[in-house]
Amino acid sequence: MYPAPIEEYVRPGTVDEAIAALAKYPEGDAFFVAGGQSIMQAIKSRLLRPRCIVDLQGVSGLKGITADSNGVRIGAMTRYREIAEAESLNGAYQAMRDAADRVGDRQVRNRGTIGGSLCWNYVAACMPPVTMSLGAEMELIGAGGASRSVAANDFLLGPLETAREENEILLSINMPAAPANAGSAYKKWGLVTDALPVIGVCAYVELDGSGACTSARVAIGGLGDGPAHSGAAAAALVGNKGNDADAISAALDAAANETETQGDLWADPAYRKQLIRSLGTEVVTTAFQRAAS
Amino acid sequence: MSNQTVTITINGEAYEESVPQRMLLVDFIRDKAALTGTHVGCTYEGVCGACTVHLDGEAVKSCLMLAVQADGHELTTVEGLAQGGELTQLQKSFNEKHALQCGYCTPGILMNMTEFLKDNPKPTEEEVRRGLVGNLCRCTGYQHIVEAVLDAADKQGG
Ligand SMILES: Cc1cc2nc3c(=O)[nH]c(=O)nc-3n(C[C@H](O)[C@H](O)[C@H](O)COP(=O)(O)OP(=O)(O)OC[C@H]3O[C@@H](n4cnc5c(N)ncnc54)[C@H](O)[C@@H]3O)c2cc1C
Ligand code: FES
Ligand code: FES
Repeated sequence: MYPAPIEEYVRPGTVDEAIAALAKYPEGDAFFVAGGQSIMQAIKSRLLRPRCIVDLQGVSGLKGITADSNGVRIGAMTRYREIAEAESLNGAYQAMRDAADRVGDRQVRNRGTIGGSLCWNYVAACMPPVTMSLGAEMELIGAGGASRSVAANDFLLGPLETAREENEILLSINMPAAPANAGSAYKKWGLVTDALPVIGVCAYVELDGSGACTSARVAIGGLGDGPAHSGAAAAALVGNKGNDADAISAALDAAANETETQGDLWADPAYRKQLIRSLGTEVVTTAFQRAAS
Repeated sequence: MSNQTVTITINGEAYEESVPQRMLLVDFIRDKAALTGTHVGCTYEGVCGACTVHLDGEAVKSCLMLAVQADGHELTTVEGLAQGGELTQLQKSFNEKHALQCGYCTPGILMNMTEFLKDNPKPTEEEVRRGLVGNLCRCTGYQHIVEAVLDAADKQGG
């Protein structure tokens, strides 16, 4: 299938130039393209008919991961491929690697970016629940160079909706310096290997010196209304240890009960709840192990 | 509608062409460079992998890019694998292990697996199968493809 006619293609070198290039067109007529692994589907099917494409591949400063005592910064244009290989994320933020390593296929991971996934916010996407569970902040920059930071929870709205303004660029995904004794994990289930998640669950836990959980966040993707936290699961995990299988499965039962699941071609509501229980139990257990090691 | 002039190097040869911005990279390769080994197997979804080429050495789906995005970049297509008429080991293994029937998926699989074996010279069968997820084959059932990739890894002595 062929895209509708496109009038202009630009490959700016800086964030300012990219924002200016987009601003030349009325809202909805010009689009940023990162890895193109989502937006090109929409352009080819003519769901979107952009007059102008602003390619972010040439914009400097948007790629790469830095992790040190000041925190972890993942540039928006960092590809799944690089995230999957980033050992600096091990432990507290290892869920990012779990997710990136299993997105789609090799070719998609060679092009697709974390920023593109978050700005698209497809219901069956991996990075939205992962960034929510890890408590990530999105750094955005708009016209005039003003930047702002938005928590993943507030950035990711309903399906295909975010808090990003039309001409804002997502610069990076930021997390605080990894606390000691913190661990995370992500796992999804889809119809075939590495497919879009029917359900994906991400867990993050912090432990005290005795190995008991002091705080937890569990986020679920693949839901009809967009990714959601399970407050009940998080609350039920606090005070418990990673070897307490009963406590963990009670927490995931609470998550499955609390979460409204939809039925569709791929799974009915009850099956989705079962996926929340089984994937959730696995990722919470793994997160505890990673936090302890 | 306007056109834009691009220079895209494919298999070492520079193609300078004026193209509409909306032209997909796969159509540039097939229609402008007349290299028809790169195939198209799906409509807009980008799920079949038949169009896989190397962009600056990495396997990507050329139906999910515009030709203008490849301006100034280097591509390798299936026609560029063999050097001086000598097939690569992976190509020879595909032949010997009967890894193709109709052959429609083959160019994309060769491009993906060529890069895969560079990243992972000694893969397990499980790793090969996971590496193939982005390429659909409607004929073979994959068994012989997996055997061919493992055979190539073996003979390349990775
Ligand atoms: C075959 C296939 C399988 C897939 N499987 C999975 C899967 O298992 N799990 C999963 O989560 N996803 C999957 N995806 C989707 C994939 O993750 C996409 O790469 C991702 O959703 C989009 O990232 P991108 O860099 O390609 O963004 P693009 O498609 O280029 O852009 C997406 C949107 O974000 C905007 N945008 C991009 N970057 C920025 C930025 N820095 N600032 C502001 N706006 C920006 C664009 O304007 C566009 O609206 C799959 C895709 C394919 C084709
Ligand atoms: S033609 Fe199917 S993935 Fe490109
Ligand atoms: S050999 Fe026919 S599609 Fe693979």
